[in-house]
Order: sequence, then C-alpha cells, then structure tokens
Amino acid sequence: MSSPLLQVKGLTKAFGKVVTAREIDLDFEAGVLTSIIGPNGAGKSTFINMMSGSLSADAGAITFDGHDVTRLPIHARVGMGLCRSFQVVNVFPGLTVFENVEIPTLVNRRRAARFFSPRAKETQVRDQALEVLNLVGLGHRTEVKASELSHGDQRLLEVAIAMAARPKLLFLDEPTAGMNPVERVDILKHIRRISNQGSTTFVIVEHDMDIVFSLSDRVVVLHRGDVICDGPPSVVQCDEQVRECYLGQEVM
Amino acid sequence: MITNKAYMAFGLLLAGLVVLGLAGDRFLLYISMRIMILAIFALGFDILFGRTGLLSFGHGAFYAGGAYGVALCYMHLAKDPLLCLLAGVLLATGLALVIGFFCVRHTEIYFAMLTLAFGMMVFSLIWNLREITGGDDGLVGVGRQAINLGLFKIPLRKESEFYFLVLAFFTGAIWVAHRIRTSPFGLILAGIRENDRRTEFAGVNIRNYRLAAFVISGAMAGLAGGLGVLLESNATPHISHWSHSSDPVLVGLIGGLNTLAGPLVGSLVFVGLKELVMRFTTYWMLFFGVVLLIILLGFRGGVVGTLVQRLAGRREVRS
Amino acid sequence: MLQSIVHVCLAGLSQGMFIWLVASGLTLIFGVLGVLNFAHGSFYMLGAYFCFMVLRALGENFWWGLLLGPVCVAAVGYLVERFFLRRVYGLELPYQLLLTFAFVLLFDDLVKIFWGAASIGTPPAPGLADSIMILGRRFPSYNLFVIAVGPLLALGLWGLLEKTWAGRIIRASSSDREMASALGVKVPTLFTAVFVFGTWLGALGGGLAVPYLGLLTPGMGEQIIIEAFVVAVIGGLGSLKGAFLGALVIGLLSAFGTRFLPTFDMFLTFILMAGVLLWRPQGFFGEAR
Repeated sequence: MSSPLLQVKGLTKAFGKVVTAREIDLDFEAGVLTSIIGPNGAGKSTFINMMSGSLSADAGAITFDGHDVTRLPIHARVGMGLCRSFQVVNVFPGLTVFENVEIPTLVNRRRAARFFSPRAKETQVRDQALEVLNLVGLGHRTEVKASELSHGDQRLLEVAIAMAARPKLLFLDEPTAGMNPVERVDILKHIRRISNQGSTTFVIVEHDMDIVFSLSDRVVVLHRGDVICDGPPSVVQCDEQVRECYLGQEVM
Repeated sequence: MITNKAYMAFGLLLAGLVVLGLAGDRFLLYISMRIMILAIFALGFDILFGRTGLLSFGHGAFYAGGAYGVALCYMHLAKDPLLCLLAGVLLATGLALVIGFFCVRHTEIYFAMLTLAFGMMVFSLIWNLREITGGDDGLVGVGRQAINLGLFKIPLRKESEFYFLVLAFFTGAIWVAHRIRTSPFGLILAGIRENDRRTEFAGVNIRNYRLAAFVISGAMAGLAGGLGVLLESNATPHISHWSHSSDPVLVGLIGGLNTLAGPLVGSLVFVGLKELVMRFTTYWMLFFGVVLLIILLGFRGGVVGTLVQRLAGRREVRS
Repeated sequence: MLQSIVHVCLAGLSQGMFIWLVASGLTLIFGVLGVLNFAHGSFYMLGAYFCFMVLRALGENFWWGLLLGPVCVAAVGYLVERFFLRRVYGLELPYQLLLTFAFVLLFDDLVKIFWGAASIGTPPAPGLADSIMILGRRFPSYNLFVIAVGPLLALGLWGLLEKTWAGRIIRASSSDREMASALGVKVPTLFTAVFVFGTWLGALGGGLAVPYLGLLTPGMGEQIIIEAFVVAVIGGLGSLKGAFLGALVIGLLSAFGTRFLPTFDMFLTFILMAGVLLWRPQGFFGEAR
C-alpha cells in the first residue's frame, strides 16, 4: 500500500472572518491528473498558495512524498519536487528564453551555487533546459529576450520554467489564461502527454469547465473554503450541489 | 567572437597599464592607482547593485573596514603589507556578513535604509571610539614595507613599485568579477534582480544568495579600502560616511550597470573628471550633479550601455 | 538634577521640532509620490539661506525672511518636480532615489557659489532674542517658540488632511493611487502640489533654524536629512503622526545621549532605526505593506 504523493489534512485558513479553507482533507495520488475548480472566491488561490508555501495555514498538515512540509519555506518545497506555475505571466523579462529555463534547471541539478566556474561548461544543464524548451515548443527561440515574446509564448515559457525544476507534483494555476484557442489546445496536449509519461503529476487550478472535464482524471470542486465534490469528471458533472453553486452562477 | 574581442580589449588594457607603470610619472601613477582602487570597489558593488538589484547606501562601512583593518594591523600586529591587506579584507568580510545578515531581510527602499543605518552605525563607532580609531583625526602614518618572500623582498615604498601591487589586485578583481558574472551563481543573482519571487519558486533560497552577493561586494570594498589606505598612508572616518557610500553608485551609473566594463569606465570617468574639474573650480559636486541628471534622464545605460546599444542598433536595424 | 533633566528635555524637544518639520515634508512626499527624497535636506538648507537672503534685503527682520524664504524654496521644488522628478516616476526605485541625490550635490555647491563655503552668522529673531529663567537656568525664548510652533504645525497639518477636501484627496491617493485617479483626481497635478507643499515644510524648518543655529553652513542639509530619514522610518514611512512622535523620540534620545552617553549617542539613533526596520518595517504608525 503506497501513500499518496501529497496528503492534506484538516487544512484551515481564515482572513479575518472570511474562511478560505475549512478543514480541507485531500489526497493526491501520483500520476492522476487532478483539476481543482470553483467559482471566484472559492479558495482556489489560497489553497495553491498554502501548498506552495506562500501562505502558512492556520491549522492542518501537509505531507509531501512522505515528509511533513507544513512549515517548510517555498524553496525547500521546490527542492523536494513540489512546484507551481502562475496565473499571470511570471517570467524573468530581461533574461533570454534559455536563461529563464536555465535558472530552475541549475537548481534542479544542484549547480546553482557554483560561483567560479563558467555556466557554458554545464552541458547537462544545457541539454536538460533545451529538452524542456523543445517540449513546450520554444526550442527555436532560445536567445530571444523573454520580454520580447508574445503573450502566449510567455505563458508557455512560464510552464517551461515550472517544468524545468523537474517537479514530482506541479500545480498549474490557470495555465491557459490569456491564450488563444489554438495555443490552448496545444498546451493541453503537452500537459496530457507529459502527465502520461508519469514523472510529473499535475494538479490544474482552473475556472474554465471545458478544459477541466476533457483533460482530468479527477475533479475537485471548492466552494467558500469547502470541498463540495470530489470524483471523476462524469460524476462531478452530474452533481446537484455543483450545478447549484457553480454552474448556476455561470449561467447567470 | 564578441567574447574574444572582449578578452583582447582587456589584454590591451592590462598591457597599457603595465607600460604606464614602467613609464608614467608619479602623478599619473597616483591617479591611475586611485582609478584602479575605485574600480575594485565598484566591481564588487556592481555584483550587488547592477546584478542582484540591491542598492546599498552603506558600503562605505566595508571600505572603511578594509582601510582601518589594514591600519590597525600595521600599528599593532604586523607590518607586512599582504598580511595587513588580509586583515583588512577579513574585517570587511566579517562586517559584511553580520550587517548583510540583517539587511537582506528587506529589498528596495527598506534595504537601502537598512544599509544606511548600519553604515552610519559603523561611522559613529569610528568617529567616537577615539582610542582605537583616532576619532576624527583618523589613523595616520601607515607605511608600505617591503613584501618579504624569504629569499628576496619586493619593495613597495615608491609609487612605481606599489603601482604593480595595485595592478595585480585590480587584474584579480576583474577576473573574479568575470568568473562570477559568467557562473551559475551569477545567473541566479540576475534572476533575483529580474523576478525574486520566481527565483524562489525555482527552488532558490534567495536570502542566502543575496547575502552571498552582499558579502562578496563587501569583501571587494574592503580590499579597495585596504589598498586605499596603503596608497594615502592614512585612514579617515569620512570614508565610512554615507556620502562616500554613494561613490560606487555614481561610478556604476556613469559606466553602466551590470556590465564588466562599466565599473572600469565609470571609475576612469569619475576620477578623471574630478581631477580635471578641480583644476578649474572647486565645485566638482555641481558638475557631478549635472552629469548624474543627464545620465538618469537620458542615458540610463551609462557609457558602456549606451555604446553597446549604439553598436547593436547599427548592426541590426530593429523597430 | 531635576534642573538638568528639564533642560535636557527642552533642548531635545526643540531639536526634535526641526527634525519633525523636515520629516513631515519627507514622509508626506513619500506617502503620496512613493519617492524617498534625498534632496529634502537640501530644501531645509535652501530654506535657511533664502530666509537669510530675504531678511538681509528687508532690513534685518527675520520674520519677513521666515515668511518669504520658504515660499521661494517651494518654487524651486516646483521646478525640480515638474521638470525632473516627473520623468522618473515610472522607473525603478534606485533611479528615483539617485535623481534626488543628484540635487543634493547640485544644491550643496550652488549654495557655496552664491553664499560662500564659509559659515555665516545670523541675527536673532526680533522680539525673541532674550532668554528666560527656567528652574534657575537660562533657556532661549526662541527655542520655546520653536517648541510651540511644532505642535501647532502638526495640528494644522492634521486639520488640513482630515478636515478639508484637498486633504481627503491626498489621503485617498496615498493609500490607493488608482482609486484616486478613478475618482477624477489629476494625479500629476496632485503630485506636483504635494511635492511643492512638502518642500515648503522642509524649507520652513530651515527658516526656523536660522535664529536657532545662529550659523549657516553649506553642509547643514546632510545632517538633518539623515535624522529625518531615521524619524520617518521609525514613525512609519508615509505617516505624519509617526513622524511627529518619532521626531520627539529622536530629539530627546539625542539630547539625553549627548548629555549622558556622548560616545554612543549617534550609534543609539541608528541602532534604533535599524531595529525598527527589522522588527517593524512599517514603523510604529505606518500601515503594513
């Protein structure tokens, strides 16, 4: 019996009187592509922030890969393989595309602290970074400054930076926000393919329902800090409570 | 190809400096040494400000740490210049480690304010602990003994002799700065400047990296201060004052931030202009104020950045 | 002993009031514009020199100088904001900081060019030239006047910010710039107005310092700007209330320090500043970032 990759128990967070997470219990198994959905204010952002370490929980415990990470700082969690991407473009604008990906790769290969040897000598890092860039389709634009990329390409780069850390579990925060439909389909294909390879488990936080249901193995619905539904897409789609609080709102 | 050209340029620069050392008169050598010492200060500072994006207003404290370290070592412990310099750099590094430990908890304006506060603490100690530091008189009479290598001695007393020691350290500082800039660590620092949150999410303990950049720049400031005291033969408290801490900032801006050549060009322009302006008028600060305004409003890349832009613009015409 | 403590307190209070005047403008400008103005100490210095110039021109009467001098400096502040500072609002903080620093260099030398590098002795204020007995020791009555002016000015500022339309706009834009602009406030105009007003406050401090110091020196701005930084940081950058109380604390601390711990009084000031920055970076009255 293997324990889940990420285990959340009794996670609670309140801002003043607003409870954004109420004793959430969730397990994430390796290899299962999970989506977390919910209307605005459901607590999705709070959840992802607590997982990645930007916010500390008021109560509860987070266990990742067998280690208690509840109190660990961001960089330590990333070091263990728990990463995230961002909803808004969050790249290194003044650096080249290659350097953008090189940074997490250097950290991943434990080369970041080398202060007296040329980066050019790190061939393994270069290959690994190029591999990730090829994966998202930016392999031919390595020497372009990130700030000169189109918005869609910057989003791809964002995902590439997150991937380059070789995470075991990667939270993608609205990975398709601001993309055109073609790019959207493209990146989802990439995500599905990488997920099937099995080295990285994805958890996607979205509010776009279509994406979620076509892609996921499992859907978790949050509403005002509670998990109101959790199951395969087909089950969640038919759930009364979900329709009421979430789909109903969409229709309106 | 560009790197080869850069290596050639630095080779030529060093060759020129060697020739200057053999042929130049005392005044020219003195000015050149001041430029090189300031460049060492600014090279280290650029790792913190230009590369990592942290503006310190307290690096005069580390310069002073090096200077007073050398002077105190010379007076109380040992007279060998290399030992004195070692003591000075160690003192500055220790100071930078302690002060940096606190300062890197903040960024931007709060970092600048913290470094200012700590820098002024060091200033107030130097000013007030008269028994140790000589107070406002400073420490005077630091001589340049010969370096004793057992079999033979390297004399440093004359300007033309000491010049080559400064040149050696200057070359070393350029080399160190170059290695750091092209290293993985150097890229992480640039990442912190560009987007510190993202760097943290790449798995970097950004506080430690900032501290490392802080300590490196502090150590190089200490080396500059130590060489400075050997050159001038005295250490005065004003070198730890915040108004002296602004020198490497100005040098960096004039030369160009986050470039290797920037601090070198900036130091040349800074010292050269100051000497030149002071021949005609005592109001060199007015002059620098105007230069600073022009740079800030029109040429934020500094001399090097502007040149690079011009060259790049000529090569490929872009929108 | 009591006499000594009272007099040290009085000296500290009057010193604190000057710092308050400079810090109030500094913190007001930071609160609204987000710019930490290194040149603010120079405006203090210019305030003193302009005051001196006017009082020379108008028959050695200090009060005319105090009235008109700071207004002239405010005009200088207008030029600085309108033609220089405005161009760097969009840039990173270091550039803004360094732009104001350029003016420190400029003004320091300009003052030397116009008034000479040597110190200038100044006449006392008419009507307040003598001193009065407090607990058997003389205390300059002008210093008492300064101690009274500080709180009055604080009260005036408070009234301006809390009770007037202009004050509401300033407060709104200092907490949320976009909100202010959404409310129809012309942000550039507001910035200029606040900068000019802040400059005037600093210059007023300089003008008031003329009889107090009895001596004008070209470097006088550099000392006080650092103290004003300390005070603004301790009180919380952007908080006037904090600046007022911070100025009292620093004034008293340095007065007692000078009297009882002369070796470490400057050290104490800066360790207090660093301590506040580390322990409570938003200061005692600033809002959390």
